[in-house]
Amino acid sequence: MKPALELLNVSVEARISEVTVQIGAGAMVGLIGPNGSGKSTLLQVAAGLLPATGSVRWAGHPLDGLSILERGRRTAWVPQEAHFEFGFTVRSVVAQARFAHGDDERGVDEALAQFDLTALAQRPVNRLSGGERQRVLLARACATEAPLQLWDEPLAALDPRHALELLVRARRLREAGKTVLLSLHDLRIAHCLDLVVVMDRGKLRACGRPEDVMTPELLRDVFGVKASTLPGLTLELP
Amino acid sequence: MTPAWVPRIALPFVWVALVVLIVVSLGVGDLWLSPARIWAGLMHQDELAATVLWQVRLPRLCVAMLVGAALSASGLVMQAYFRNSLASPGLLGVSSGGAAGAVIAIGAGWATTSLFILPIAAICGAFAATMAVVVLAHRGASTERLLLAGVALNALLGAVTSYVLSNFTLTYERNAQVLFWLLGGIEDRTWEHVAMITPVLAAAALLWPLGRPMDLLSLGAQEAQSLGVNVRALRRRMLLLATVMTALATAVAGTVGFVGLIVPHMLRLIVGPEHRRLVPLALVGGAAFVLACDLIGRAAGGLRLGIVTALVGGPFFLWLLRRQT
Repeated sequence: MKPALELLNVSVEARISEVTVQIGAGAMVGLIGPNGSGKSTLLQVAAGLLPATGSVRWAGHPLDGLSILERGRRTAWVPQEAHFEFGFTVRSVVAQARFAHGDDERGVDEALAQFDLTALAQRPVNRLSGGERQRVLLARACATEAPLQLWDEPLAALDPRHALELLVRARRLREAGKTVLLSLHDLRIAHCLDLVVVMDRGKLRACGRPEDVMTPELLRDVFGVKASTLPGLTLELP
Repeated sequence: MTPAWVPRIALPFVWVALVVLIVVSLGVGDLWLSPARIWAGLMHQDELAATVLWQVRLPRLCVAMLVGAALSASGLVMQAYFRNSLASPGLLGVSSGGAAGAVIAIGAGWATTSLFILPIAAICGAFAATMAVVVLAHRGASTERLLLAGVALNALLGAVTSYVLSNFTLTYERNAQVLFWLLGGIEDRTWEHVAMITPVLAAAALLWPLGRPMDLLSLGAQEAQSLGVNVRALRRRMLLLATVMTALATAVAGTVGFVGLIVPHMLRLIVGPEHRRLVPLALVGGAAFVLACDLIGRAAGGLRLGIVTALVGGPFFLWLLRRQT
């Protein structure tokens, strides 16, 4: 089976250099690294939104060979933050997910319900809190039903319950054969992931299973922190 | 929050308002005409009414409606393009660019050689101004940056116009023409002017299907592209249509400010930000707004259209600025 996402010698001037990563279908992958290490750039390149040297393939298809509409059907990208100048309703923003499918509205109400947004469906999106806006963007990504989901720091603005629910949602997408690549800073959730990609100063530092990659030595070297496995506060959904 | 039925009845309501304004505009003047006499005049059954209508009022009416539709739709497109609800052809200097181009053509005497020179010169000027705004205030620029770019460009183009005024040996007639352009107006417009601005209808038809992708673009270029919008092609088309519509409106009516700001903004407040709804509404609503302003100007003893729209638009703009901050 062809990998869901292949990045081969991908470089963006002054941002990332010679990154090669292969991610199989039906995987939940974490992209970690310090601030400015190139995580967002890598996600934008993977989504075909930023010109880069090297090669990007989705399920074996070179990105250049796919029309923009076809790309919209195959991938969903969630930005780190969104600026909403106009007061579109929450529902209409989530329904944008179906643009590449002829605006068929399929799965829009389900996505709203999954992200706890049904009650906010008619509210203007520019009057929501940061966390609520983040949920709107994630609901839109899920409503695309795209096989490749690329989420840039999706947990950053979410409260603990919604963060845990998002991880459950991502796991379900993985079980449905979809690939979720998400950047994150909270290393404690690494145990949920199938694969971890570590970026450091624009270069790929490591890629592999969390237990193999996230060693105390690497974490100290990349993040400058001392890692230990002392028991701490554990949160679960009821 | 706006009740759900308001957006549904908005377009029929604006259409009705436009029809009423058309009837009033055709009937009111030195010679008052009842609706029955208007009909008789249009059918050439009443020769005096026919002369007044076909020679004076109808061309003026058509120009007013097309100018309004063009400037309003152009403002709507620019607001989506720059993702800023304060963007409009007047504030960004695009109208001034069109006027400067036209004034240069008049001052140099080119405008007398062909009917098409004036709109072409206006389009060139408007395009130059649009490109300058795109460079000075990139997409998604802050309101302050966008407005400052507009102020700078308006000042620069004003200087160009003043230079033309002071350096060309102008006859009284040319001077009057140039002043007409700077103040904006639709007096004495003929069927030639209607023909000059008719391509606005084609531009409107091309704009119609862009409503949905414009919704996506107004939330961010990268987001729109990730959802399947060909952002580069869409932006090119939006810029082209907005500039051509502004230039054609400026070519026949001079600088008429604030229409592109007020109309889309008011409509957005009433029916929400969805462009599929806003595009037709902006076209019809813009036509109705300019027609209403023209009627106000005529009732006030011949106040120029540009002055009326500025008197209405100035306070509205200040209110908007205060509301945004």
